[in-house]
Amino acid sequence: MTSQVKTESGRHLSKIMRDCYMDIHQRAAQGAFVIWIAINVPAELFAGFDNVIYAVPESHAATSAAKGVGALQCEKAEKIGYSMDLCSYARIDIGTVADGGNDSPTFGLPAPQMLVSDNNNCSLLVKWFDVHHRQMGIPHYIVDVPFCYSPQREKDRKYIVEQFRGLIRAIEEKSGQRHDMDRVREAMQYTSEGLAHWKRFLSLAAHRPSAITAFDSFVQMAPFLTLRGTPQFAEHYRLLADETEQLVADSRFPVPNEKYRLFWDNIAPWHQLRNMSARLAQMDANIIGATYTQCIGTVEGSFQPHLYAGGDPLDYMARTQNAYVCPHGMELRSRAMAEAVETLGVDGIVFASNRSCKPYSITQIDQMKQMTETLGIPAVMIDVDHADARKFSQETAYLRIEALLESIEAGRVTVS
Amino acid sequence: MYNDDLIRLLESGRKVIGCFPLYPPLELFDAMGLAPVVLWRFPEPMPETPASDSHLQNYACSVARRLTDFILSDAGGAIDGVFMYNACDTLRNLPEILEHGTRAAGRPLPVHRVHMPMVGCGQEQDVDTAGFIADEFAGLIQALETTYGVVFSAERFEKSIRRFETIRDLCRQLDMAAAQGRIPFADFVRVVHRTWWMSAAAQVDFLTGVLAETREVSPEPVTRKITGRVLLSGILPPPVPVIEAIEGAGLAIAGNDIATLYRAYAKMPAPAADPGRYYHQFYREHFPCPTLLYTADERFDTLLDLIRRRGASGVIFAGEKFCEYEYFEYPYLENRLKAEGIHTLRLEIAMADASISALRTRIEAFAEMVGG
Ligand code: SF4
Ligand code: SF4
Repeated sequence: MTSQVKTESGRHLSKIMRDCYMDIHQRAAQGAFVIWIAINVPAELFAGFDNVIYAVPESHAATSAAKGVGALQCEKAEKIGYSMDLCSYARIDIGTVADGGNDSPTFGLPAPQMLVSDNNNCSLLVKWFDVHHRQMGIPHYIVDVPFCYSPQREKDRKYIVEQFRGLIRAIEEKSGQRHDMDRVREAMQYTSEGLAHWKRFLSLAAHRPSAITAFDSFVQMAPFLTLRGTPQFAEHYRLLADETEQLVADSRFPVPNEKYRLFWDNIAPWHQLRNMSARLAQMDANIIGATYTQCIGTVEGSFQPHLYAGGDPLDYMARTQNAYVCPHGMELRSRAMAEAVETLGVDGIVFASNRSCKPYSITQIDQMKQMTETLGIPAVMIDVDHADARKFSQETAYLRIEALLESIEAGRVTVS
Repeated sequence: MYNDDLIRLLESGRKVIGCFPLYPPLELFDAMGLAPVVLWRFPEPMPETPASDSHLQNYACSVARRLTDFILSDAGGAIDGVFMYNACDTLRNLPEILEHGTRAAGRPLPVHRVHMPMVGCGQEQDVDTAGFIADEFAGLIQALETTYGVVFSAERFEKSIRRFETIRDLCRQLDMAAAQGRIPFADFVRVVHRTWWMSAAAQVDFLTGVLAETREVSPEPVTRKITGRVLLSGILPPPVPVIEAIEGAGLAIAGNDIATLYRAYAKMPAPAADPGRYYHQFYREHFPCPTLLYTADERFDTLLDLIRRRGASGVIFAGEKFCEYEYFEYPYLENRLKAEGIHTLRLEIAMADASISALRTRIEAFAEMVGG
């Protein structure tokens, strides 16, 4: 069974996240210029300003879902006319704002003076931020990132860099503050250091039994969204990787009798983390990795780290804009997944088909076929909405997962 | 398998380019001797999509599912290539599915893509969108020349732009005829949708003929007893039974803000010999559509202006189920319209839109409200 005892890194995570939310509320109250950003907008940019802070509605939505108030906030958005078919992150955020931050685990987010969205994960997000743009009457800057089917084109990288420069100018103009690129360079170093530790942490999944569960790694993603470019960020991931290495040295594993090593494709099922990890552990199964966490710190289609090695930070930031799964095509997704599956010694893949997130899900049927055929690995598809618990049927999902375990078992018998 | 229009198109000897919605560069394909068809809906009704269902989940919109089904089924053999731009999150994931599927079927399809800059209006000074688009179109022209052995000519391009201006102008005239009740709205939709499967020259002849007939049969605006005038808005027009239910409830459809109709023919820029320049203007100055992200700020005013010009007092939003672009805007539009005294009704049109009895009741109640 997975241990429910909080690790040192777990406690540290709670502390830095609590501090982070308190800090942004406090600084906003003291007059800082507040920007709401999409998760893929490189937050290190804001380190170049004296008094600009950012908040991430997607991260807040994930936290809300993990704390059990996702469906409640979704309903608030639905009541004011937003369709239940829209992405649950968007509904949580719109519902939270509509109700003045009530029921939010972080007391909502400080009111923004500017919005910065991008369309690399999805252009739905631009429509979502437009809702606030109109409601709040504040500017909305859109970073346009060309989707890629093969490695990012040089031309697209330059185009993205131009936009980052434009964004800096826009913030300078609106906040009245000057931007200092040296501070961005410094922030990039912290991020890069943290990313190296993150990759070290994820690589411990290759151990048998795995030193981590994907569920832990999902939770541990939070600083990527809210603390990039800070010393706390680098320090947190150092602590996490060191601690996990120590657990391996002490032979303490989340699923000690691990028989089935699974891989997860799609966003974390935030409302199911505890249930799902416990239930799988009872079956001696562990989800040891996920495309959602493996793509961080890479470039599109790769499993390998891609770290900042000096030079123009804007160029590096632009180069990593297609890294996350949604901004690139199926061939690249499959390449990275195959590499992860082989490196980590995965027995089976769970494709979580997520009607809330079409960009992540629409290629999954074909990708599943590809993985099964080329890698000879059994896979299963279950329906999960990442943040709206009302759209998840436990029984159907576990029936399918049990079937997956049976087919892994059947494969083993055949081989032996 | 194919209807007469498609057969004629195939017999023309031109290579057929299946264009993903929403607003592909039809003029360019036509100028290069290719036959573009926009894959919105298909010559034959498509109530089921078995070929698509083994690739796409049922929460993809009906446009994507039908398009995929058409290309992956035998009917797709009529297509020589596919074109797409970054119109939406669902569509951007389809090219590789289609490439794989057609390769597996032994008829690999070339897929041509361009990226259309979606930066906000106020950001034009930050990035060279004109240069970006010019570059994308230069690449596209080169790919078309290599793949199909055709050649670009600036002269033919300008000529083609003029032909499409004629087509759009004819559509606008027919649109007005429908607004005046001189042609039933459902017939008007059928006419415009039929043109998708015709060559540009055939479209001009066909639309001219329909318009002449309309003028002859019904030269004056038709007055019938109506309870109110409404505008239809959506990606696709609703199915014919829904249109009939709207008109049957006493409402006149005085205009539309539909992607396959008015949004597509409302306006186009002046002819230009340079595709980069032309398409920069074409997309940046397009009639607002939720998929053209940078047009969002103009959408309400444009819609209201159309409503006023057509003397409508209600809007029916025919929402394409699972199209986030449309759905995100509804609450805002509804609230603003309400404040202007305009009634709104939101209908959800799903893939299996078999029964309209529930919709009919809502439409009738809405008609009473608009009339009241
Ligand atoms: S649709 Fe997917 S990528 Fe877009 S905001 Fe929602 S969860 Fe994120
Ligand atoms: S209806 Fe909407 S989701 Fe579907 S293809 Fe069109 S824009 Fe995309």
